[in-house]
Amino acid sequence: MRKWFKQLDKILRGDATRMSLLAEGKIRIPVGGLSVAIVLLGVLYGLCMGSFAMIRTGGEAYMQLIASAIKVPMLFFLTLAVTFPSLYVFNALIGTRLSVVSALRLLIAALGVMLAVLASLGPIVVFFALSTKSYPFMQLLNVATATMAGVLGLGFLLRTLNRLVIVQESIESSHVGPKSESNEGKEKEKAYDSNRASEGKPAEPIGALDRAGKFTTRKAKSVFKAWTMVFALVGAQMSWVLRPFIGCPSLPFEWFRERESNFFIAVLRALVNLFSS
Amino acid sequence: MLLQAENVLRARPWAVEDGHTAKKLAQLGLLVVVFGIVYGAVMGSFGGVFGQRFWQVVFSAIKVPLLLMGTFALSLPSFFVVNTLLGLRSDFSYSLRALLATQAGLTIILTSFAPFTLLWYVSFSNYQGAILFNTLMFGSASFAAQWVLRRFYEPLIERDPRHRMLLRAWLVIYAFVGIQMAWVLRPFVGNPNMPTQFLRQDVWGNAYVRLVNIIWTFIGG
Repeated sequence: MRKWFKQLDKILRGDATRMSLLAEGKIRIPVGGLSVAIVLLGVLYGLCMGSFAMIRTGGEAYMQLIASAIKVPMLFFLTLAVTFPSLYVFNALIGTRLSVVSALRLLIAALGVMLAVLASLGPIVVFFALSTKSYPFMQLLNVATATMAGVLGLGFLLRTLNRLVIVQESIESSHVGPKSESNEGKEKEKAYDSNRASEGKPAEPIGALDRAGKFTTRKAKSVFKAWTMVFALVGAQMSWVLRPFIGCPSLPFEWFRERESNFFIAVLRALVNLFSS
Repeated sequence: MLLQAENVLRARPWAVEDGHTAKKLAQLGLLVVVFGIVYGAVMGSFGGVFGQRFWQVVFSAIKVPLLLMGTFALSLPSFFVVNTLLGLRSDFSYSLRALLATQAGLTIILTSFAPFTLLWYVSFSNYQGAILFNTLMFGSASFAAQWVLRRFYEPLIERDPRHRMLLRAWLVIYAFVGIQMAWVLRPFVGNPNMPTQFLRQDVWGNAYVRLVNIIWTFIGG
């Protein structure tokens, strides 16, 4: 078990996604052990989430505790399953060297980051579950913790994808490099930069406001940015489909609730309820 | 121990120097507990220290360190993960000691305010006034403790400006948890007209929900 969490730790520290490793187009993360660590962290956070219903009903809703512990890991892996195909397709369209397996690994690593953040906020959630009676407050608190986890996890994913694109570009232009020397001055600089990069020196930005990288790099970045937004939306809606996670104390326990409304309307409603209660 | 307290106040490198990390953490924790107990006891002495009221002194003495250490412990895991994610894990041991030293600084400053609180208790018998005065003391002590924090954190921020952002994030989470913790652990002063209890069972609730409700009724008339 320590080994699995060590893997997670390596991802959190950024050791698993260094530029030099990405240059090979491979991401060496043992998915098996990491997945177990993710599931454990998910179960942990699920217990924190479900504790509210149990505490408020005086132990009757212990089923909610079990249900949430199962559902939180499920939420993340289902979101992964829904979003993975499109990640791979975009990744191939843009032309990074990431293979299917590596793309999957990368996504699982991002899940690891999310769940590590989420689980680390678990104690705060339990503390509020112990001391508050307000259901809308708990809803909003959990939305806030999940948002934090999502922002950091997707930030990790985006940074790594961007690194991949940059690495990719420097490899490509170092192949074209000698030829393009006869081109315009800007191209020369680029080749110089990429040569420097291939020698392990950081690339020199041209002007203060210039973005690093070529036009395609920027386009690739915006595509990945859009894709992370999609991931966030899918995750939010998935959490709504799998609800209840917290379990309203006044409603009976159910594994899943009726299909109605959506995540964003529910958050708005929770806000209104918080104010009007 | 007084020497250590002095070191903390002057932000001497004793607390953050390398070596004996665990021992230093324990010593800093002890400082928080001891000085917290002192101020807590003073805080609870509002309605006198004899008979039933004696228990309020004991309860408050326990609760002040509990408030600080509890908030600290709850906020720590997420701070640790975010530090790691930003690649600042190697500095974490340093920041942990700096933050704990700040906590110790806070309780030491609070203890130095204890005579003011006693004087206030002797001069005024209004319960609301006592609460307000203690809030003021906690507020000023937190404000003053920022000095300690800033001095300990300066070398870190110099090394990597992201520490400044992390520090702000820490303060936000700490305040968010701390306010609720203080609300849950009421009463600290103890209304003399009510029986002495460790915790008030009937008013167990959420500080933020209360705040929102108050604002809402105020706006709605």
